[in-house]
Amino acid sequence: MSDRRLRVAVGAIAAVGAGIAAYLTYTHFAHEAIVCATGGCETVQSSKYAELAGIPVALLGLAAYVFVLGTAFFRGELARAAGAVTAVAGVLFGVYLLVVQLAVIGALCQWCLASDLVLDALAVACILRLNPDWVCGLPGRPAFGRRSTFGEKTEGDHPWPPIPRT
Amino acid sequence: MTRRTYLAVAASAGLLATGLFATSLVGARADEPVAPQPPVRSALPLLNGIPQHGAALGRPDAPVTLVEFADLQCPYCAAWAGGAFADVVRDYVRPGKARIVFSGLAFIGPDSERGLRFAFAAGRQGKLWQTVHLIYASQGAENAGWMTDDFLREIGGSIQGLDAERALRESDSPAIDRQIASAKASATRLGVRGTPAFAAGRIGGPLRPLAVTSLEASALRPALDSLLAR
Repeated sequence: MSDRRLRVAVGAIAAVGAGIAAYLTYTHFAHEAIVCATGGCETVQSSKYAELAGIPVALLGLAAYVFVLGTAFFRGELARAAGAVTAVAGVLFGVYLLVVQLAVIGALCQWCLASDLVLDALAVACILRLNPDWVCGLPGRPAFGRRSTFGEKTEGDHPWPPIPRT
Repeated sequence: MTRRTYLAVAASAGLLATGLFATSLVGARADEPVAPQPPVRSALPLLNGIPQHGAALGRPDAPVTLVEFADLQCPYCAAWAGGAFADVVRDYVRPGKARIVFSGLAFIGPDSERGLRFAFAAGRQGKLWQTVHLIYASQGAENAGWMTDDFLREIGGSIQGLDAERALRESDSPAIDRQIASAKASATRLGVRGTPAFAAGRIGGPLRPLAVTSLEASALRPALDSLLAR
């Protein structure tokens, strides 16, 4: 998959995650009831695990999603690595929170589960973005034209001329 | 990017996640709770000697009425009941400046409604506020089926002067249906969208919703003081 498509995917998935985190952040500060099918959202949100050093986990999640969304706007290696680090750390922390919900709090929050799934997808997209750019050319030989992502059709930048029609 | 980059990303993510776990675990073990907890102050002595009429706590001729919209399964309502409520009762209700009316809602689920019906029925015996506070003190997980008849009997049995069996019998009466419908209509009219929510007004005057930004008593004081000053 091309980096362009992956950047769009990262941006879209991060936007969905940011939406979920924004909703939970809003309900946290507004003290509003959470729309909840699993029946444990209020319990989870009001538990002591819902805050990290006094900051709501939902707000931290929102910041993380926005950060990863921001990395989708940059092509550089640093942006890709930063996005992947954040997303993978988010997955690990999500697993920890899932264990806490099941084993300690004894309640499940559907929004947290949804966020976990979004984080999984986001981490996959971010890791895929770490793939090296494939250069259409032989090792050690400069590519003809611009660098191309493997599989991306780039007319006119092939190092060899087209096979003439006979 | 090289294998070294992948390893660096994995190591950084692992370190970041470890930091998050550690912070979370340290925070969870801290003595100071960071989220609403069930009431820590016993509300029953606090209520001694204060008149109760149905869902109202305080003198009927108090100049200001404070209406509290709450769901018995709402942890924030329990936190308010265990904290700021005592300050409001001490400073406004006991001196006869204000009365508080419990406008119970049951939007969280079936356990909310069973508890609310019992609390309103206890209110017919002048014991709504004791009931509400004891339920908050034993609040269970949302809709886990914890608001059983046995649980309510136990709550009722621990309140002096409350006939728990009578309250259970009256829980499903048309009068309680009307009381629940009235509270819901009042919440809708005032634009209540979450709990706890508050409205206040002077006796004989209209109720106005209060924009409360924290669960501290200080969040209500300006509005109550302003109404008292009129």
